[in-house]
Amino acid sequence: MSAASSTAGEAGFGERIADLARQAGRELAYLSIGGLTAIVAFCVWVTAVSVTLSLIVFIIGLPLYLLSVIAFRWTAELDRRNAALLRGRALRATYRDHRGESFLARLSSTTRDLQTWKDLTWLVVHSVLGFAFAAIAVSAVASVLAAFVMPLWFWSIPAGVDWGPWSIDTLPLALLATVLSIPLAALTVLINRWMVRAELWLAEQLLEGDEVAPAGAAAGPGGSPKIPLSSDGVRRMIPEGEFSLAVHAAISAMVGLLCTAVWAAAGGGYYWPAWVWLALIIPLSLHFGLREAVRIAPERRALAIQVVVSLVVTGITVAVWALAGFGAFWPIWTILALVILFVVVLLARLVWRQLYGDERERELTERVETLTETRRGALDVQAAELRRIERDLHDGAQARLVALSMQLGRAEEGLADRPEIAALVRQARAEATAANAELRDLARGIAPPVLADRGLAAAVEALGTRAPVPVKVDASQLARRPAPVVESAAYFVVAESLTNVAKHAPGASAAVVLRERGDTLEVTVADDGPGGADATAGSGLDGLRRRVAALDGELRIVSPALGGTRIEVRLPCGS
Amino acid sequence: MRVVIAEDSLLLREGLVALLREHDVDVVAQAEDGEGLLRIVGGHKPDLAIVDVRLPPTFTDEGIRAAVEARRRRPEMGVLILSQYVEPVYTAELLAGGEGGVGYLLKERVGDIPAFLDAIRRVADGGTALDREVVATLVGERRAGPESPIDSLSPREREVLSLMAEGRTNTAIAEQLVVTPGAVEKHVSSIFSKLNLSAAGDDHRRVLAVLAFLRATDGG
Repeated sequence: MSAASSTAGEAGFGERIADLARQAGRELAYLSIGGLTAIVAFCVWVTAVSVTLSLIVFIIGLPLYLLSVIAFRWTAELDRRNAALLRGRALRATYRDHRGESFLARLSSTTRDLQTWKDLTWLVVHSVLGFAFAAIAVSAVASVLAAFVMPLWFWSIPAGVDWGPWSIDTLPLALLATVLSIPLAALTVLINRWMVRAELWLAEQLLEGDEVAPAGAAAGPGGSPKIPLSSDGVRRMIPEGEFSLAVHAAISAMVGLLCTAVWAAAGGGYYWPAWVWLALIIPLSLHFGLREAVRIAPERRALAIQVVVSLVVTGITVAVWALAGFGAFWPIWTILALVILFVVVLLARLVWRQLYGDERERELTERVETLTETRRGALDVQAAELRRIERDLHDGAQARLVALSMQLGRAEEGLADRPEIAALVRQARAEATAANAELRDLARGIAPPVLADRGLAAAVEALGTRAPVPVKVDASQLARRPAPVVESAAYFVVAESLTNVAKHAPGASAAVVLRERGDTLEVTVADDGPGGADATAGSGLDGLRRRVAALDGELRIVSPALGGTRIEVRLPCGS
Repeated sequence: MRVVIAEDSLLLREGLVALLREHDVDVVAQAEDGEGLLRIVGGHKPDLAIVDVRLPPTFTDEGIRAAVEARRRRPEMGVLILSQYVEPVYTAELLAGGEGGVGYLLKERVGDIPAFLDAIRRVADGGTALDREVVATLVGERRAGPESPIDSLSPREREVLSLMAEGRTNTAIAEQLVVTPGAVEKHVSSIFSKLNLSAAGDDHRRVLAVLAFLRATDGG
């Protein structure tokens, strides 16, 4: 018994180890291939950018520019495919379709294609990052393997294997290296995984088209048909803001890297391109920050812009302080000034709003007040109208039917000697009675008289008495009468809920609680039926919800598939 | 029998007066509202007041309030409420005093003249006349809770119970169900023992006992 289970446990553990190893292998492969594509990417973008930029002054640069773009796309495609190793499927991106375009149109549409610029950004970043990651991963794995098999080869180096501060020249030390290689292997796997995550995340941001429509979708109205280049899906037009930011970032990165290349070619020394980077980053961060800031709602936009500018200024001062060789932290004064300025502005806004109120906010508040008032008015009018109809029925049609019944009754008596005609008259009287009963039900359905006469508690008691299921009503915590329109909403909530109980849970019993809490009327109808109430659009519950919502109330339905339904309504009573 | 009527609709009031006079019921005075009812009850010493629930000036339940007040002033008078609708809460208020001479009927029942006249006489004599709609809200399978003793009644016994609750005498019940008075008596004693009620003397007490029982098992 225990042997069997331990075997099973070992099998599970072994499987897990195998899975881990497979995954680690895939990750290593991804990083290694990424190193190779990084070399390709570096060659492609450096060649393309330098050749195109240097020849762009001559016309020959323009077709080269288009050729470069194609090269960028295909190189980026290598990394899209590589991602399939870990994601199961390749990343997908689509470009504008340039078929049938004139040369000039193609120049312009290529330039406006966001994905191309994202590809170029990827190539630039990946050529550094991908190579570095691959180098780290491969050398780490190689070191771990070397350490693992240390006892087999340490003797071949007479001076001992140089392992950091230690020199391994005896068998016990070599065996110790083997043991140590196991936690190092785990660490390597972890580091590789982090690098993979970083690189994949970046690839997803830059290489994956963010909107992939189903293949075969029709061309956008009025636009040229767009077909996928690398995969299925249709690309939409690029939003202007994102496009300009991508170009800005790509150009900044290129200039910065070129300067770094020049610095390296000139033999290193003081890393002056740092200042170039700083100069490039300032407008880029302003560009990005302000773009985000203007998306904020108008009343907070000024504040957001101030925050962005403050952050950028802080960044610049700190960077300058760092580049100038650290020393006393003088940027604190700038930061302090910015914080004080921010607080002052914030307080001023607050005071201003307290004193004068925000113009727009005041307008909106007034509008909401007006709407609330008029909506309530409309509901009051409607309730009054329903009551008037009920009264008209009562005094008109119903009274006439009663009078008719009386007259027919008297006629019937006078026809004692003509039984066959008396039977006809009796039948007519029965019809009149039935018509009256129908009118009575109708009147109760639109404006129950007992609600107007005796209020919600009595009306709900009456509902409970009439319901075909046992109903317990607790209205003891209802002190005063809410407004008629609130009363009527609460009444119909109970009526509809009890009808539902009778319909869907015939064997159940129900409990109704009416309670006043502060300015809110709470109505709860709970049953012990099967639950699973349907509150989709068009159902009776949906109608109730809308009725309650019109009074700024809430309706909550708790109806698990097993175990009763509970309908909770909160209605603000107003004044 | 001296009768007063409180009814605001001229059409119905005149129809009612004509009908009653044809059957030798003495309609001594008429009123259009609650105050008028109290005035004529004070002046004419009637045996019975027929009162509409909905009267001016509020057109809500003035009639009930006026009828209860009139009864307080003249306890020996019967009160018959006529209404277009039946509300259990009004039934409860009318019966709250515990005395007889109370009726609550839908207006359209007036068309069944023999039954209506029977109800009038019963109420004027201190009996009870409840509309079958009122009784239906109290009796019957649909009202029965899970362990209600009403479940133990046979269908026939349930019919007899309903008619008792309406205020009918054994004779009237026998007539209605086309059985002998002896059979009705047997049903009645069976019902009382099944519901654990002590057999009551007069018809009105019987009604009250039955109604009290029904309301107590109402679940509400």
